[in-house]
Amino acid sequence: MLRAMLLDPSAAYPKVAVLRTALDAGDWPACRETLDNAEPVERTCLTAVAAETEGIAEFLRGVLSGDPSDGTAGALLGRHLAASTTTAFSAAERVLVDAAARSPLDPAIWTVRLRTARGLRLGPSEARRRYDRLAEIDANHVPGQSQYLRYLCGHDPAEAYEFARSAAAAAPPGSFSPVLIAEYHLDRYLARRDHFDDETVRAEVAEAAARSAGHPDFRHTHGWVRVTSTFAMAYALIGDQPAAAGYFEALGELDSAQPWDRLGDPATVIGRYRKRATGGEQ
Amino acid sequence: MITRLEVDGVPALCAPADGPMHAGLVFRVGTADETVPVRGITRLIEHLVADVPGSTGPEHTYFHTRGTPTEIAAFLSGVCTALRNPPAERIAAARQRMTSVRDRDPLPMWRYGARSHGVASYPEWALSGLTDDQVRDWITRWFTRANAALWVAGDDLPEGLALDLPDGVRQPAPTAVTVLPATPAWFAGSDGTAAWDTVVRRDAGAAVFATVLERRLQHELRDRAGVAETARTEYEPRADGTARILALAEAAAGRSDGTLGGLVDVLAALRAGRIDADEVGTVVKHTSEGLRDAECRGARLPGQAFNLLAGRAVQTLDEALAEVRAVTAEDVAAVAAAGYDAGLLMTPGTGGADWAGYTAAPTMSEAVLDGRTHRGRGDRNLRLISGAQGISVVEGDVVGTVRYDACAAVLAWPDGARQLIGEDAVMARVEPTLYRDAEQVVHDVDQWIPARLRIDMPPRDRDRIPQPRPAAEIPEAEVDSRRPLITLLIAGMATLFVVAGGLGVLTMMLTQGPTEAGLFGGLGEYGLVASASILFGIFAGRIAVDAAAELRRQQADRIDRNP
Repeated sequence: MLRAMLLDPSAAYPKVAVLRTALDAGDWPACRETLDNAEPVERTCLTAVAAETEGIAEFLRGVLSGDPSDGTAGALLGRHLAASTTTAFSAAERVLVDAAARSPLDPAIWTVRLRTARGLRLGPSEARRRYDRLAEIDANHVPGQSQYLRYLCGHDPAEAYEFARSAAAAAPPGSFSPVLIAEYHLDRYLARRDHFDDETVRAEVAEAAARSAGHPDFRHTHGWVRVTSTFAMAYALIGDQPAAAGYFEALGELDSAQPWDRLGDPATVIGRYRKRATGGEQ
Repeated sequence: MITRLEVDGVPALCAPADGPMHAGLVFRVGTADETVPVRGITRLIEHLVADVPGSTGPEHTYFHTRGTPTEIAAFLSGVCTALRNPPAERIAAARQRMTSVRDRDPLPMWRYGARSHGVASYPEWALSGLTDDQVRDWITRWFTRANAALWVAGDDLPEGLALDLPDGVRQPAPTAVTVLPATPAWFAGSDGTAAWDTVVRRDAGAAVFATVLERRLQHELRDRAGVAETARTEYEPRADGTARILALAEAAAGRSDGTLGGLVDVLAALRAGRIDADEVGTVVKHTSEGLRDAECRGARLPGQAFNLLAGRAVQTLDEALAEVRAVTAEDVAAVAAAGYDAGLLMTPGTGGADWAGYTAAPTMSEAVLDGRTHRGRGDRNLRLISGAQGISVVEGDVVGTVRYDACAAVLAWPDGARQLIGEDAVMARVEPTLYRDAEQVVHDVDQWIPARLRIDMPPRDRDRIPQPRPAAEIPEAEVDSRRPLITLLIAGMATLFVVAGGLGVLTMMLTQGPTEAGLFGGLGEYGLVASASILFGIFAGRIAVDAAAELRRQQADRIDRNP
């Protein structure tokens, strides 16, 4: 019997539950208080999580009609609308164009606009322009970097690789950004299953892990579970069970559905790989 | 100080200016008064009656010269004499002199169709076939004493100046009726150029907005994002009390999407009222300096002469300065919001702008007319319908309908091909080789269409005449339902385009002083301040490099010959 994995972000981050409660109650001032007091990366991540709450579009449109300049509501509504169809991305982008116009310094808005740039199949120069706007605000904004990396992976893997390397190199030791290297290689692995056979690739993952989740300065701030989980996944696929086990252990009972969901149902997949890494102990 | 005078019944404005005397005679006629079948006639007359060409803009045509009072009097009196007795034997020579192909601005056609301001987007197809009588009739209607105004930058009127023009009536401003069902709207332009235009109330706030927009575009698109090579705006006041504002951005190689995205964002930011009072203050200051400079050079006079023709008051420098200084950031934001709602965006390539909240401008007709159906030869997707109301051409889902009662022009080739151009700019092309029994349709069209709408085209090379394809060559579902009929005309026609309108060239001529590089650099600054002077639309800088110009010439030639 697998131990109960805690995939929901609220397990790792208490503010998620606070925000959801406020959203459910339609209490926008309380939502703003939680989001406004969050650190930039935390705020962008909270926006992404909260945006998955069902049935909040009307509520957020109401907030925006009362105060069109509320960029936080714009980011949340834009992220909520940015589902998987072109129509949905268009609807999201229209909200985000106005939100970015009114709150040009909000990294959450530019992060979602990188997602919509991908969904709307806008050209590379537009995606770059959006990323540059984000980087001007926060040079190491990992949620936005991840979005841009996904865009590049779908467009030009060589450029994606360059971006992941330069963003990882520019980040201070112990930070999240080196995870982009692991994300890039996982993306390549999904395209070619022998990708991790390459020794250089494995070395790059190891180096990235050492500068990030494996570094003593790595802090458990919002996003750490996903970063750690990504390295666990990379090592699991490489077949380095001891290294994978180390990261699973660091996670304790916590886990992140992304990026495991790219292999199938995350709970099932994680369970399988955890068991394999730890020799079925858990 | 501008003095109001009169010369032979023509209202005149006179004001002292630095440098040698210069003067101009303007008529309230331009491309917006033309129809497609006589497109180019105003410019032909401009070249016919003066050795030194003047300028033909959307609403005004003027003749301008600089020199001694005697030279000026001789030049302008000569123009009037030639207008009274147009030298018919010189029409061919004039046509020869004006062969330089001008880049056409496609946005007016998308906003107004094939009428009024939209006519300027069309090639001068009729030029070679314009008759003596047509030229005389056009002069009789437009180049008259009542429809003229004079300006003189000098201490006094030149001695011996006589303006012996035929009598006539003052012509009202052209009526501009939009064909866009919804705005803000978009259409796909040619690769590499993003453009946007809008029509707002004509006032100092609108002029300042145009300059603020230019600065913002240059900052965001060129300096910050590096997606555009150049960005500029034009402010074009109109006689009907509105003003057109045009923004153009040339994308850097491979950066069209970023240029479009940047343009969309800049427009949205201005609409949202993100306009800094300091920024407006800077623009107001430079505009005021430009106005003073223009006053010294006599460069404000042409715009005031235009005002006379529009029945507007002549504005003193102090009045113009006061109006500009009164402009606040709130005023500019109000213009930005109104301009955004009325905006028309030209995307730089094939992609659209629905995602940004812009509605696609119509590219084809909604309805197929009743009538006799002629099937395509060997192509089941193709149908030609001829009825008493007009012609429809249907190819798959694409419909081009031109009603006879809303037909702007018909191009007629000797081989029988006919191209009907609707007032809404949609086209229906009758190629006799492609349909069964199509000769009957050619006959119908020639019967229904009055001669004044017909433009006879030169013979086509044999390989330009389309031939039906063997059925085997036509794959299923080949028709691209997005292929717009309206864009067939402009494909490749506007890689870069120049609005040679209003007093652009003249303004540059008058303001070319020592080109000290100011805040905005060289000629650009003069253009900038003049464009914000509420007096006249101007073209603020040459954007064409030779190679690009040659390419455009080739493309325009191709379109002209083979629309």
